Amino acid sequence: MQGQLLQHYGQTPNHERMSTHGAKIAKVMMQGGPDVLARTGSMIAYEGLIDFNPNPPQIANMVRSWASGEGVPLMVCTGQGELYLADYGKEVVILQLQNEALSVNGKNILAFDASLQWNIERVQGVSMLSGMGMFNVVLRGQGWVALTSKGTPVVLNTQEAETFVDTDALVAYTEGLRVKTKRTARLGGLFGRGSGEAFQLGFHGHGFVVVQPSEDARPRFQARG
Amino acid sequence: MSQQFTKGQKSQLSQLTAGTDLYVGIQLNAPGTSWDISCFGLDADEKLSDDQYFIFYNQPKSPDGSVQQLGAQSGDNDSFRLILDKVPAKIAKFSFCAALEGAGTAAQIQSGYLRIVAGGQEVGRYAFTGADFGPERAIIIGDIYKKGVWRFGAVGQGFAGGLADLIRSFGGAVEEDSAPPPPAAAPGFAPPPGGPAPGFAPPPGGPPPQQAAPGFAPPPGGPPPQQAPAFGAPQGAPAFGGPQGAPPQQQPGYGPPQGQPGYPPQGPPQGQPGYPPQGPPQGQPGYPPQGQPQQQGYPQQGVQPGYGPGGYGEPYPSQAQPTQPGAMSTLNKFREVQGPGRWVQQNHKLVKVVLGPEASAKKGAMVAYQGDIEFGHRSGGGGIRGRIERNLTGQGLDFMTIRGVGEVFLAEDAADLHIVELNGQRLCINANNVLAMDATLQTEIKRIESPGIPGGGMFHLEVGGQGTVVVMTKGSPLTLMTQGPTFADMNAVVAWTAGMRVSVSTTVRVSREVYHGASGESVALQFMGMQGHFVVVQPYEV
Repeated sequence: MQGQLLQHYGQTPNHERMSTHGAKIAKVMMQGGPDVLARTGSMIAYEGLIDFNPNPPQIANMVRSWASGEGVPLMVCTGQGELYLADYGKEVVILQLQNEALSVNGKNILAFDASLQWNIERVQGVSMLSGMGMFNVVLRGQGWVALTSKGTPVVLNTQEAETFVDTDALVAYTEGLRVKTKRTARLGGLFGRGSGEAFQLGFHGHGFVVVQPSEDARPRFQARG
Repeated sequence: MSQQFTKGQKSQLSQLTAGTDLYVGIQLNAPGTSWDISCFGLDADEKLSDDQYFIFYNQPKSPDGSVQQLGAQSGDNDSFRLILDKVPAKIAKFSFCAALEGAGTAAQIQSGYLRIVAGGQEVGRYAFTGADFGPERAIIIGDIYKKGVWRFGAVGQGFAGGLADLIRSFGGAVEEDSAPPPPAAAPGFAPPPGGPAPGFAPPPGGPPPQQAAPGFAPPPGGPPPQQAPAFGAPQGAPAFGGPQGAPPQQQPGYGPPQGQPGYPPQGPPQGQPGYPPQGPPQGQPGYPPQGQPQQQGYPQQGVQPGYGPGGYGEPYPSQAQPTQPGAMSTLNKFREVQGPGRWVQQNHKLVKVVLGPEASAKKGAMVAYQGDIEFGHRSGGGGIRGRIERNLTGQGLDFMTIRGVGEVFLAEDAADLHIVELNGQRLCINANNVLAMDATLQTEIKRIESPGIPGGGMFHLEVGGQGTVVVMTKGSPLTLMTQGPTFADMNAVVAWTAGMRVSVSTTVRVSREVYHGASGESVALQFMGMQGHFVVVQPYEV
């Protein structure tokens, strides 16, 4: 048999902890590393012996503390082998954190090393304004992270100017930024003649914000007549 | 039987093979560095007297087809096809060179080879390692040259100054301006004028990079030699290795070593094969100093084919590159693209508009902004009529105004975006395919009426004047010149030039069934136009 499928789409020669297979699949080498926390249901294939535990105690405790129940569905992957992850055809971005800290939108996290310090936080203010909670995974330390982005992301430097991001398009931001919510809609904007851009998160300080070219299709708060 | 060459060794080609249709494959194993491989066609004085024989990824083919770059295949990082019979008399030497892109030296090459394949058999190979070189940034690997008869010489010579030095040594001119706008940032509806060469200037005579976002205009008489990912050029030959790559029967005995029939498809069909996205060469962990985004290199990386949508030359998994440590070393290639002009394509799916002057965009299309910007409701058409139009046309024309000072990033649902400069011409755009435009443009909502169309008519926006409009498509669009009668499915048509005669033909049973019980009959629009008119269709029926 011959063809591009065999010629170009075979296993990649990368043996790093995490790498991409094409633009939309993340490959995780599970040999001799810490466990990986991955988005529940994101496994598309694996080789070897890997166990998936969608309700590990450390996550369950966190989930219980949330009233809404929405959040970041994560599972712990343990074992030996190669693990392939994807999230509905979103593009995958692999990062290797080196004692950096990153806050990732819960919708855009695909996988990360369990050895990283991590925490799931509710972004202040967003839940009040837009009627739904926004949960971020804060990652810190040394290790690998796989993010997803619907479409190619863009990285904005918040040092240049205060940067406002649609909460649905936010992928991640570096820690240490001052975050505030902004409500551009005047009262009239809520009744029939809005611009469609009601709430944003403003970032200020020394760092970067990653934005995806899509606003995840979710019910939006719109009090339109 | 493959003859092994050592550095400096020379041999007549006739001793290797009787064939004159050669495949030259080059492999470089140099982890952490990225190399551009090119071929210089030199005259008898070893000068690059004709730029058209400088074959590199931006100019993959000489005008007579005697030398052609094929890209990565069969284990080679890059490969060329050389048809000695077609080589004009003025060209006496082909020099195969590699130049570093980004940091590093030639000494970092762990291993590499240049091999000559004829008739599906490898006949000669020159293997080298970084130990043959020093701190050079460009190397001449080998020459195929004519001294009475064609010969091959294993050169293995380094050039400290990199590619620019190399080109100068061949008598070529190097333009110092080496920060052209992103190559892939040109999904305008016309063929982009050849992606710029990252890191070094395109050869003189290269098309001005500012045309990176050309208007809808059809390609001018002489299309640029590069034929880059042109989805807009019906007559433009496709990118590398496309049909023009000669059908197999014209090249008996030619073929990569595995004996695949003819030319196997190489590399991504669009984009630049052999140039998979590389990790940023800087590789600094942590944050680079501020102000660095303006540095050369970033704009290109921002729109690397690596993260294009499926159709834009997404890399094959086999071309994967390792991830460098540090979050920013990955993220750098997604940095904001600083470009000339008011509308700047950030990647296929994201556009930045710089204010100043007011712009308008589809509601909800803003993903981020910097500066002091206000979004307002656009009173479309005004009064009751405007409201009726809005209701009739659905969400498509629900626009907002963007005022203020700063930069606004626009995108919608990861659709592909195309910046179109109207330059006074008029364009009709399906209401669902308009993302944003300059507020100075004149717009008019029009309707194609037909009883066959659900709702009684098809709404579109006719846009004209001086300014820019951003068109979005689901998938890579197709631009059809209307030379004869052209038909397009109403659900797939994106835009067309104003002034064409458009009629509705419901008799064509072409479209697939939309739902159970449907007749399978869909509405096709028929376009009749003069030279220069065109229709844009997306591969997605709404």
